[in-house]
Amino acid sequence: MTTTYDGGRQLSRLTVHDDAQQMIERARDEGIETVWDRLRAQEPQCGYCQLGLSCRNCAMGPCRIDPFGEGPQKGVCGADADVIVARNLGRTIAAGSSAHSDHGRDILEVFHAMAHGETSGYQVTDEAKLRRIASELGIATDSRETNDVAIDLADELLANYGSAKGSLSFVERVPAARQKKWAELGITPRGVDRENVEMMHRTHMGVDNDYVNLLLHGLRTSLSDGWGGSMIATELSDIMFGTPTPVTSEVNLGVLATDQVNIAMHGHNPLLSDVVVAAAQDPELVELARSFGASGINVVGLCCTGNEMLMRKGVPIAGNHLMQELVLVTGALEAMVVDYQCIMPSVVDVAKCYHTRVISTSDKAKFPGATHVSFDPHRGAEIAREIVRMAVEAYPNRNRDRVRIPSAPVQMMGGFSVEAILGALGGTPQPLVDAIVAGTIRGAVAVVGCNNPKLAQDFEHIELTRKLIENDILVLVTGCAAVANGKAGQMMPAAADLAGPGLGALCRSLGIPPVLHMGSCVDNSRIMQLAAALANAVGVDIDSLPLAGAAPEWYSEKAVAIGTYVVGSGITTVLGVQPPIFGSANVVNLLAGGLDDVVGAKFAVEADPYKAALFIRRHIEQKRQAMGLTFIAPEDIRDDAMAATGTTAGG
Amino acid sequence: MRTVFVNPERCIGCLQCEVACATEHSASHDLAQAFHEAPLPRKRVHVEAGPVSGTSYPNKCRHCDPAPCQRVCPTGAIRRDASGDLVVIDAKRCIGCAMCAVVCPFDVITFHPLADALTTEVLVAVKCDGCEARVGRGEEPACVESCKVDALVYGEINELVAAGRLRNSGAVLAAAWSTPTAAPGGDPLAGWRSFGTARASVNDAAQRAWVRHPGRDSARTGEDGTDSQAVDGAMKEKGMS
Repeated sequence: MTTTYDGGRQLSRLTVHDDAQQMIERARDEGIETVWDRLRAQEPQCGYCQLGLSCRNCAMGPCRIDPFGEGPQKGVCGADADVIVARNLGRTIAAGSSAHSDHGRDILEVFHAMAHGETSGYQVTDEAKLRRIASELGIATDSRETNDVAIDLADELLANYGSAKGSLSFVERVPAARQKKWAELGITPRGVDRENVEMMHRTHMGVDNDYVNLLLHGLRTSLSDGWGGSMIATELSDIMFGTPTPVTSEVNLGVLATDQVNIAMHGHNPLLSDVVVAAAQDPELVELARSFGASGINVVGLCCTGNEMLMRKGVPIAGNHLMQELVLVTGALEAMVVDYQCIMPSVVDVAKCYHTRVISTSDKAKFPGATHVSFDPHRGAEIAREIVRMAVEAYPNRNRDRVRIPSAPVQMMGGFSVEAILGALGGTPQPLVDAIVAGTIRGAVAVVGCNNPKLAQDFEHIELTRKLIENDILVLVTGCAAVANGKAGQMMPAAADLAGPGLGALCRSLGIPPVLHMGSCVDNSRIMQLAAALANAVGVDIDSLPLAGAAPEWYSEKAVAIGTYVVGSGITTVLGVQPPIFGSANVVNLLAGGLDDVVGAKFAVEADPYKAALFIRRHIEQKRQAMGLTFIAPEDIRDDAMAATGTTAGG
Repeated sequence: MRTVFVNPERCIGCLQCEVACATEHSASHDLAQAFHEAPLPRKRVHVEAGPVSGTSYPNKCRHCDPAPCQRVCPTGAIRRDASGDLVVIDAKRCIGCAMCAVVCPFDVITFHPLADALTTEVLVAVKCDGCEARVGRGEEPACVESCKVDALVYGEINELVAAGRLRNSGAVLAAAWSTPTAAPGGDPLAGWRSFGTARASVNDAAQRAWVRHPGRDSARTGEDGTDSQAVDGAMKEKGMS
């Protein structure tokens, strides 16, 4: 088949899921614009911007560099392609790190207020974890009141945001060899806010004009996210809302109920969703819903808020990033409650075509056309009831003739926190180490990241994951990648049958799927912790282990920060979507090559999931060889590229 | 003959020619004011996306001679300018019949209200005027000036064609006379454009995987692996477009 226009209208080029295809078709029928229409309208997209060669940082500009070498080769200030590309990448990393870290700060502030007894609806749920982390950070816990320990922990972590400390608290979790490497390179993260502010400073005109120095600070900035802001978000969320344990739930648009008030929680932060889930069980509100003819109140998740709720409470999840408009097109949603990150401004426009109310809750993320209910943790439970009441009161406005829920849900398992994984292994990572040493499991790969309408939704996530587990590689997923694999049926214990003999046997013996859901995108910090625990158990640095990362369908600045801290932590990462750096051969060569000599890991770009799987398998076998383990020579790992298997599930 | 020549392989889709063109054809000639004007100034160069992302083509009036549009214009609104290089439209004579657009080989004539028409109540034919005024002052057309990658160049047609020919000859001769390595300098966009090709083939694979999946209703959405034109046509018939 010849290649056809990328923005082509064939539904199966847009998404692999049947629920999504039906809803896109319906949106077309009803004249509702979706993300795919807008991508098509944007094309061709600016090549300078895609190459990273445009700079808007000052008013002597904007400037752009001619990649053909005949037009301008320097911006007005004199910055060349290397500096402009590195500055742009640095700011992207800072934006992504800031997003995760500010999410972490919001949780930390509520944790702090909770410890002081100033909140409603929040409490310490995992007392053991509170005391364990406090001890880890040198806080006295013996015979002390819970809130006193929590206050000290909050103060310790608040100090991580400034620059009062020499390095972040959780850097102590990193293997000693890596800590030494970071110190030698001068990239040990010192303060969450500090690294981000310093990146904005360095990328101001006339500050850091050395692209290598800029990129090194990019690594440090991202590490302040992975081992700082994100890790603080994960750990404190576990303490307040419970550390996830394996739980079975359901996924896809079929989780919506025809006869109930449907509320979709969309965004990222569990602060709000946790109290809303509780409020939806309030007998008074359930009774109100019944009085309107509904049989109950059905809370479902979207995107990473959905992952947070699924991990801890088994709340079903309606979909990932590219489903956020399509969930509205079902006509079955009374309210979409949003906080922040990845919430398309367009959801308000789509919601206007139905009876759905969009309720924004974060004062830092307002949506014209939405109803704003300012979230205040001091009145968390009360505000949650107010939001649920608004949703219930929208139920009588539902037009039953327009309700179309396109599919039956698929089962998926979640809840694999580091604690849960170690628990399943008997309390230590040793059984996993033994399986890797024996070669029954070749290694482990984190498949993470977003959706991007440039690529058929979830195709890369599902196919790459499938190829990896078929070859006895354990896959850890978070974020949109987790939802993709859940919809494809690859996240139930029965999926052990899809895995290779070694991984399949291990999964059957433990009763776990071959693809483990580790949470939301801030929970990539769990993957960092697990990698560090494995490295410490073996007594090596992280970069020695047979691990890899992949962000097959990434779109967001946060994903760039994640990819960078994963590489900075010593794990080679494959991106499925090209980042805007190809205007500078020097930057590309450093990130895709030279970095390996510096941090023991590098980036690769590969859109084809089969080729990405091949790259990762060879990488893992090389790491095994270097560790003195059994290995398969690269030339014996065959290329089954683009052998479209038809295995992609329809959801 | 002086003309705007296109090197399509160089176009990187930044759309700056479109913006410069609309600004040049505004009353204010100022970007910040131009898009507040009524009627809105219109672009006369159209950058269309290519078959894969990373490719695009800035399409505009080629100022044909003889010009089909001029021949069919029933009111004589379309004429050649004094230099003979340009085909220009007198908006005051245009009756919006669109015959020019019907015969235009490049589909670059659009219809919008224009400030210099008899009235702004009607739509008149709008197309590239070769930046008559700028060229008269010895300047390049606005689109050419805005293009920093030489996808759009201006000059004597045979000189521009020769420049392209020499560039190609250089690459051919380098290949013929040296060890078969990349041409001098290579293609600086090859790395970037490889993603566009990869993206298209991955989406092809996604489509194939869907079509082959057992039990799927391939007829429902025209998912039969036919080319996009046919599918788009079929969907139009079904009222899906």
